[in-house]
Amino acid sequence: MRNKDADSLYIHIPFCTKLCGYCDFPKLLGSEKWGEAYITALFLEIDSYNIGKMSTVYIGGGTPTSLNDDLFEKLIRKSKEHLKDGGEFTIEANPDSLSEKKIRIMAEYSVNRVSLGVQSSHEYRLREMGRSHSFEEARNAVELLRKNGIFNINIDLIYGLKGETLEELKEDLSAFIELDTPHISTYCLSVSPGTLFYNKKYNEPGEEESADQYELILSTLRGVGYRRYEVSNFAKDGCFSKHNLTYWKDNRYYGVGLGASGYLKDTRYDNTRNLDKYLRGQYIEKKEEIDPKSEYEYYLLTNLRLEEGIDLEEFEKEFSYTLLNKKEIKEMIESNLLKIENNRLSATDKGMMILDRILLNLF
Amino acid sequence: MKYAQDHIRNFSVIAHIDHGKSTLCDRILELTGAVEQRNLQAQMLDDMDLERERGITIKLNAVTVTYKANNGEDYIFNLIDTPGHVDFTYEVSRSLAACEGALLVVDATQGVQAQTLANVYLAIDNDLMIIPVINKIDLPSANVEFAKKEIRERIGLSTVDSCLVSAKTGEGIKDILEKIVELVPPPSGDPSAPLQALIFDSYYDSYRGVIVMVRIKNGSVKVGDRIKLMASNKTYTITEVGIRTPKEMRTERLDCGDVGYIAATIKDIKDVVPGETITYADKPASEALPGYRKINPMVYCGLYPVDSDDYENLKDALAKLVLNDSSLVYEPETSKALGFGFRVGFLGLLHMDVIQERLEREYGLNLILTAPSVKYQVNINGGGMVVVDNPSMMPEPSKIKSIMEPYVNASIMTPKEYVGPIMELCQEKRGIFEDMIYFDDTRVTVKYKLPLSEIIYSFFDRLKSATKGYASLDYEISEYRESDLAKMDILLNGDIIDALSTIVYRPSAYNRGLAIVSKLKQIIPKQQFQVPVQAAINGKIIARADIKSVRKDVLAKCYGGDISRKKKLLEKQKEGKKRMKAIGTVDVPQEAFMSVLSLEDENEK
Repeated sequence: MRNKDADSLYIHIPFCTKLCGYCDFPKLLGSEKWGEAYITALFLEIDSYNIGKMSTVYIGGGTPTSLNDDLFEKLIRKSKEHLKDGGEFTIEANPDSLSEKKIRIMAEYSVNRVSLGVQSSHEYRLREMGRSHSFEEARNAVELLRKNGIFNINIDLIYGLKGETLEELKEDLSAFIELDTPHISTYCLSVSPGTLFYNKKYNEPGEEESADQYELILSTLRGVGYRRYEVSNFAKDGCFSKHNLTYWKDNRYYGVGLGASGYLKDTRYDNTRNLDKYLRGQYIEKKEEIDPKSEYEYYLLTNLRLEEGIDLEEFEKEFSYTLLNKKEIKEMIESNLLKIENNRLSATDKGMMILDRILLNLF
Repeated sequence: MKYAQDHIRNFSVIAHIDHGKSTLCDRILELTGAVEQRNLQAQMLDDMDLERERGITIKLNAVTVTYKANNGEDYIFNLIDTPGHVDFTYEVSRSLAACEGALLVVDATQGVQAQTLANVYLAIDNDLMIIPVINKIDLPSANVEFAKKEIRERIGLSTVDSCLVSAKTGEGIKDILEKIVELVPPPSGDPSAPLQALIFDSYYDSYRGVIVMVRIKNGSVKVGDRIKLMASNKTYTITEVGIRTPKEMRTERLDCGDVGYIAATIKDIKDVVPGETITYADKPASEALPGYRKINPMVYCGLYPVDSDDYENLKDALAKLVLNDSSLVYEPETSKALGFGFRVGFLGLLHMDVIQERLEREYGLNLILTAPSVKYQVNINGGGMVVVDNPSMMPEPSKIKSIMEPYVNASIMTPKEYVGPIMELCQEKRGIFEDMIYFDDTRVTVKYKLPLSEIIYSFFDRLKSATKGYASLDYEISEYRESDLAKMDILLNGDIIDALSTIVYRPSAYNRGLAIVSKLKQIIPKQQFQVPVQAAINGKIIARADIKSVRKDVLAKCYGGDISRKKKLLEKQKEGKKRMKAIGTVDVPQEAFMSVLSLEDENEK
């Protein structure tokens, strides 16, 4: 049986200096007013769990680096208390709020991975998305991180913006590849209710368009030595995000902070997105008990996103069920959407592009 | 308590949807002391939920109340409700035939609405005394003079005796009741003549059999009487008579002029259709009341459960519905694509919609309806004729000598400025012009012979939009005529889907085929492989569209909370998939089978 103890911790910092058009994470403008109270409540929430030392800690947002230096240091120090020696410690950052001072604090407290929201190499696209930095600033941020000993860097790319051509995407990819980070995440634009883009009726890219773009990304990044280890994530060997693999292997994790989600034992939970409630200590908004059937579904939904797919032996032990006996699976192997290699079941390149269809057949 | 014939008033209420008919009826019931307010469910005459939601009355109903007039005398009022759609025009005319008067409700903020006109014309045809009621005068935007002018000019009624009311506040209701006493004539008729009772509605009761709503036109009737139905020639013995208040209340007898119910252990509702005349079995009236028309289903469609395990449930549900609906007919049929189901006959498309909704809502069924068809007569080479109400049952083309289709005599009543657009529409629908009759300076009746298949689809909607809703349509089957028709098959992935076959007018087959395949391409979601959709006549492909295979369908971001959101979404999609029918390897949504219907609406735009 898999270990049902959490070995990962996610901490959410909901503050930003500016709102981006596509972002649907819980976020608030201006950490000056609420930063201190929030950090206090956050620490109370952390202490309300008996979180020991974790293999991975991930501070995401919002923009964690938008906190002032004092609060930032407090947060990092507290987070490090829950990190195992040699554990992966990631912080999300925006190029413009990543001062050398903050980088030194990170390095001092063993932050060893940074995920940078770069999004595009085109200035007009950055403005269109409401980003408050230039590509030049992103380049400088990467250099500054390296200068301070942080080499495990991810950069995010968003594609599928209005009227974006394959030519434009090629330019983005070249510019991103030139930064030579070991990890690149590429996200097709999705416009969720409640976002600025949604309110402006900004359109998501069409299926044909985004399929062409995805194929271009896949062949380009593979061509220069990245592996697509998950639907949207590319990395050099040894540099996969250990923390995010927790999600995709359907393992347990703590989630703390406004709007964060966690998965402990047989319960998935979502924290409140209401700051008022959060500050009053009403952290959890919704709980979902995971029964064996939904655990099976969650397991497929997450693990099939990984290129390595599902270990059939482990699956059988876990669920006492032979996946390969399933008619739908056999059919999809036959039509080259799924494949078996080394006793693992995974999506083919073709299957990965229509993974949600595959899942629908398996639920 | 019995009332003299001259103290009876039988009337109906004619109104456009939303003009406040139901609220007005409620107020009348309150004021006449029929029902105590606390028992009054809002809008109690429309007793089916579905009716309340759609704002239309499907099932007729009647209520008897008493009223003490200002002259100090007690009157009995029978308020007879009417349905409001062209599918039920005949039923409306029968219930109006049970009345001497009608209240015409007009919204003071909107004036005369088109839908009202059809029923007003019917009321005029039945020689009813019409009292205009201008409602909603409490609203700031009310314009009484405008409403009166509309009544005078659009309908040609005098507004001298109109009532100004607010059904919402109750203002003016008393005035209506006084006008009813004063202006609506008491029922004529001879109490000592042989019984003639007009059936205007019926419903099924599991203990007493079919309960028949009647208006006694001549004579009287009591428990124990042997009665005969003059059209069907069946006889029964009366077990119970009474009135509805609106609860049933037994009485000793129903006399000349009365409105009430009769129970006589009648098993089959089809024996007591509206318009029938009841008389004595032993001493019958010499003739039936005028206006009776045999009602036959006009439209047939296949009705199938999405989940084939639901077949028995569908069978039970239909058996129950038919108890209360004399115009519904059905028999089992099988489709290669859809499995076991029924071929069901309806009065028209609204009737079909209503039945579908009731089956889905009240019986929890998930259904597929195939495109509606009329009944064709197919003459076979070498003699013989077969009747086809299911396009997939059409004989081999080589065996067909000719195909006959039903035509109707359509009468379209309209303000004269719309005659042009109406004639264009009828021409387009293969109509044959018959006559044009001027009523007066404003109103015209245009008469056409039209193929029934052309008017069951979108004709009524097209007519409404061509005339801003002011035209009204009445039609009855006239005769079968030979037409240049052919069966058009639809192929999915190379296989003929029998449930999608339709009979088309050959000269427009190409356009129709193209429209259907394009429509199906829109409706059927992308599959994991490309699916060709083709239209064929006699094995020859005349149109094609391809449903492209899905190329990309994957969530980009799946972290933390995204995971449970994604799972919920997949569950929802799975539910949606359950509502589709898997035909071969293609998932086909329910609405695909009705896609032929929606074509016309699009051509219109």
